[in-house]
Amino acid sequence: MRPDDQPVEKNVWKRRRWLLGLVSLGPLATGCRGYQYGHIVKPTASDMVGSHEAGSEVFHPLVDESVGKLLSKQQEQCLIGPDGSPQKKTICFVCVENKMSEDIGDFKDQLYEQIDSKILESDVFQPVSRRMVDAALHETRLRPDALMVPDNMNLFTAVLQRQGAPIDYLLYAKLTSGTTQRNSSKQRDYLLTLELTNVHTGIYSKESAEIRKGYHKTALGSVWNYNPLK
Amino acid sequence: MNPPRFDVSLRVTLGLLLCQMLCLVSSIGCSTHAKRVSLSRSLFYEGQLQACRDRLEKLHKSHRQDRDVTNLDLAVVDLLDGRTEQAESRLKAVRDRFDRLEQESLSEKTLSMWTDDTARSYAGEDYEKILIRVYLALANLMRDGVDAESYTLQIQDKHEAVMQKLWGEAPVDTNSKKFTGLPIGFYLRGMLREQTHLDYDDALRSYSQVAELLPTCQAIQGDIQRVTQGVHSEPGNGVLYVFAMVGRGPYKIESVEQPTSDALLIADRIISAVGPYKLPPTIAPIKVPKVTVPDSDIEGVRVTIHNQAVGSTVSIADIDRLALETSQAARNELIARAVARRVIKKATVAAVKQQTSSNGLTSLGLDAAGVAWEALESADTRCWGLLPRSIQVLRIELPAGSHWLSLAPEYLGQIGRTDARRQVSIADGRNTYVIGWFPDTFTPPRILTSLY
Repeated sequence: MRPDDQPVEKNVWKRRRWLLGLVSLGPLATGCRGYQYGHIVKPTASDMVGSHEAGSEVFHPLVDESVGKLLSKQQEQCLIGPDGSPQKKTICFVCVENKMSEDIGDFKDQLYEQIDSKILESDVFQPVSRRMVDAALHETRLRPDALMVPDNMNLFTAVLQRQGAPIDYLLYAKLTSGTTQRNSSKQRDYLLTLELTNVHTGIYSKESAEIRKGYHKTALGSVWNYNPLK
Repeated sequence: MNPPRFDVSLRVTLGLLLCQMLCLVSSIGCSTHAKRVSLSRSLFYEGQLQACRDRLEKLHKSHRQDRDVTNLDLAVVDLLDGRTEQAESRLKAVRDRFDRLEQESLSEKTLSMWTDDTARSYAGEDYEKILIRVYLALANLMRDGVDAESYTLQIQDKHEAVMQKLWGEAPVDTNSKKFTGLPIGFYLRGMLREQTHLDYDDALRSYSQVAELLPTCQAIQGDIQRVTQGVHSEPGNGVLYVFAMVGRGPYKIESVEQPTSDALLIADRIISAVGPYKLPPTIAPIKVPKVTVPDSDIEGVRVTIHNQAVGSTVSIADIDRLALETSQAARNELIARAVARRVIKKATVAAVKQQTSSNGLTSLGLDAAGVAWEALESADTRCWGLLPRSIQVLRIELPAGSHWLSLAPEYLGQIGRTDARRQVSIADGRNTYVIGWFPDTFTPPRILTSLY
């Protein structure tokens, strides 16, 4: 081969390589599009941590703690009946109010059900069915946040009484949040408050639980903002 | 200088490759989806739904690559024909497929570089993905409404994902001319949460999001005031929601475009990634899909109850604007792909000619084959073609019981021919839904009332 043939040969091979490269893409092209899969999360496994918003990892512990506090406090004040067993208080769990900066989407109804189920399982309260509460609100056209007005309260309790479900207490659950921003990171404090009001006396009590959560743009954001060595 | 060395086996391989390419392009042909569905579109707008369905079903069977979009068109026909269950099932199938197609396929990507974009599975435009869920919610509300709330959550999720894709983490700037979102999903969610008589906070949140996207809409301010201080409806009353699908919506046509400098930059990146070639200094115009929106002579729908006008619908989804904006956002990428494809085709023909050391006649033949290869390319005009130009709504509180409802199109300050009166039943404290389809002032409208 003459020395001046070298560039031509090189160029030819370059072209061949490129062409063969394209051809070779064909067999490679078996497709990268996959399917979607699902699996059952073991009860002992920890919850997935939401990257942008609160999820199970926040709401489940909040419910457990706040309801636990409420029940233990109310158990101490429980009256004992003539047969020696604790007298259950009739309670109407009105709603979960979301006052957070985040939309909780499908969690709202689940939170209601979780709190309602825990109250039902306790020896302290006898909750009124949610369907009865819905029906009473539907019939009276009262807003849940307007039930504390005495006339509204009387009307609402009267309707429930007529349905065969007289009540002693109204329970509201309220979710609130507070956000602290630090450059591209932020900390959000989630607070679940359970507010219990005696419809006969107006006396109320509150129990709450809080979880703080950090959101970062980088994986090291949590280390940078919450130095574990401090 | 010695003649270039020539490997016989390589020559055979390259010859076979070119033949294979020609077979491939001949199987594609020049027909575009826009041409194939033009008859069904005409039938649809003439109100011949049965004939339109037959035609679309034929296309659905004969053109595998068009199946998803014909399914979407068929869902619209089914919905307007009262076959809400079938419409919902078609929409669900396409929703799931589009979700899957969000993942890229290397095989289709490669094939499309040798042929055209129609070789790719159509993964749906961003606005179509949101609207599939909107139509799912509406179709479900026409039946029992059991899944409607889930669909509204899905609309929000998809809306957020699309916004994230287009805007990144930046907050939405409603004053900007860029894609500003589709408020209907938030409206539907607010409407359903309000109906619970309990979740007024959720309804307020949703309506506030609508107000952010539609800052000049007065009707939504009324909704916000109601869920802040009032109630869903007075005792003994229910609510009628009239959804009007107004005008003829966007669809894609084939257009010939001159590549922009931004598109050439992207194309250069694609080419550089594939081989050692660079973009030529000039590129002849290329075929790309273009979103077009037919002119509309209809502005809204006047609602009359017991011969008494109660109001006009207002837009909560400007589909035409959204389609134009999102297609504009993706335009450079689209043109770049077409440019890269052209360069690859030209380079392939040149390489074959060089490798086979073609003489004059063979070279001419290869050039002709190359020209034919490029000419057979067609723009990917697949789209959901039977959408309305906008979806509008009117909320009316009415006493529980039966009412006579009639709808009439509004255009240029005039009221068009009023549709025949129909009876609607309003339930105490509940929502009732009516969907009206008004493509123009001439086509007879179609009205659909919810079952429950």
